[in-house]
Amino acid sequence: MSMLAAKRALRDIRSNIFLNMVSVLTIALSVFIVSAFMLFFINATDFLDGWRKGVRIIVYMTDGASEAERLSLTEAIQKTGAAQEVVFISRDEAFKDLKKKIGDQSSLLDGLDKNPLPDSLEITLKDVYRGPEDIEALAARIAGLPQVDDVEYAQKWLQRFAGVYNLFKITGLVLASIFFIATLLIIANTIRIIMFSRREEIEIIRIVGADENFIRYPLFIEAILQGFLGGFLGIVALFLAFVLTVPNLSIEGAFSFFEMRFIPVKFSLAIVLCSMTIGWIGCYFSIRKFLKL
Amino acid sequence: MSKLGSKLRLKDKGLSDMFVMHKENTIIRMFRVSKRYGKMEALSDLTLDIKDGEFVFVTGPSGAGKSTMIKLLYMGEIASEGAIIIDGVYMDRITRKQIPRLRRKLGIIFQDFKLIPTKTVFQNVALVLEIVGVKPKEIQRRTMEALERVGIDDRAGELTPVLSGGEKQRVAVARAIVGEPRIILADEPTGSLDADSASHIFQLLQDAHADGATVVVATHDQQMINTGYGRVVRLAKGRLNSEDGEMQYAGQGMDV
Repeated sequence: MSMLAAKRALRDIRSNIFLNMVSVLTIALSVFIVSAFMLFFINATDFLDGWRKGVRIIVYMTDGASEAERLSLTEAIQKTGAAQEVVFISRDEAFKDLKKKIGDQSSLLDGLDKNPLPDSLEITLKDVYRGPEDIEALAARIAGLPQVDDVEYAQKWLQRFAGVYNLFKITGLVLASIFFIATLLIIANTIRIIMFSRREEIEIIRIVGADENFIRYPLFIEAILQGFLGGFLGIVALFLAFVLTVPNLSIEGAFSFFEMRFIPVKFSLAIVLCSMTIGWIGCYFSIRKFLKL
Repeated sequence: MSKLGSKLRLKDKGLSDMFVMHKENTIIRMFRVSKRYGKMEALSDLTLDIKDGEFVFVTGPSGAGKSTMIKLLYMGEIASEGAIIIDGVYMDRITRKQIPRLRRKLGIIFQDFKLIPTKTVFQNVALVLEIVGVKPKEIQRRTMEALERVGIDDRAGELTPVLSGGEKQRVAVARAIVGEPRIILADEPTGSLDADSASHIFQLLQDAHADGATVVVATHDQQMINTGYGRVVRLAKGRLNSEDGEMQYAGQGMDV
């Protein structure tokens, strides 16, 4: 029976090839857009995680702070429990480092009367304190300690990125919901149009003794196949776009730790499976409405 | 009307117990059947027995209720009142899911053929066997056999819209007989055919009858009726015509 239903489904697809193609392409487009957002989240999450691992807070000390004051500040920072490591960088070391970094143009610094850089403490954070809110709270706390002139961390950048990330997250969820409903309606309508265009045929089939399963099974197979093909094509199109685009994106400097990756296979399979399930649900509602005696 | 409503009404008439009796050779029994469409009564208080292996013409002018009667028999419509028993199955007790099973016992022929235009002659006929899950080889053999019987096997691969009216009706007859049903219902089978084709179709119906099928033909084709081949049941305005004695004949089938 199921083989026969599959054969009849394929025969039906052939005789409604245009309608089925439009349906599959629309599903593919929906899957492409939703998956593109998923791709962004996966990489944005990777990026944030990677960046957080390297995050540091730099504490600039007031000019002329004594050794005892430095030790006392270091102790106060360690007491917060957030610091994994606190390294003192003297103003001379910092100046040398700066000279090294600017390389050929270090002669520009020769004209300075005195070293303008302050003594500083570089704090590496424990894993659990690497969230944007934790860093911000810790920085504010440290800024209130004596002998602290300024606290620096990638505050604005972090806030901006977190903002964009959250915005995309909400947009992605909204779009995913819209496309979920759209895909459902597309499949439901395709099946409904197919059934409507074949209402006489269905009526004849019924008169000669077909039960509802005989009518339903090929349509279910058709809808699930549409979902599968649409999902598969959407993922393949996104993969091609990814392969063609990513080598042209150069990620250098501070972000060189980050390497973009495609949606993992298991997620890709889940998307296709989801698309097939949507096909099934869409078909179920259409049929339920249509096949009332 | 609901099953319960139908039963109560029969009880009111004091006749519900009559259905317990089953005359062995009665394959179709209609008892006090009425069918209303709004205020219009298409069939009114129709009581009729058809015996197993009988050939019956149901005739009458347009609007007499012939097609309605055929529709009630294959459950294309549900009776507003009364009871219908087909091959031991009480139609008012049948569930929606059981309707296909009942229809598989029937071969149905329509005036407008009701063939699927996107399918070939072969596929149209084979469909009946596909539905009941016959194996492909068997489908091939039996379908070709049915097409040969109606003399259209040479056009098995063609789509039905290219056929003439007579040929289409032969395909419809092949579809009606391929499942070897016990009952064949034909609603104006020759209504849109020329005399030659009509005669051919009538012959095919007689052949099916000769093979043992009970045949009920709703028609106003006098030529066919006048052959005297089968019993004639006359309807007028939804009622059995009492003037020609058919009521009495039909009544004889009931164990009242």
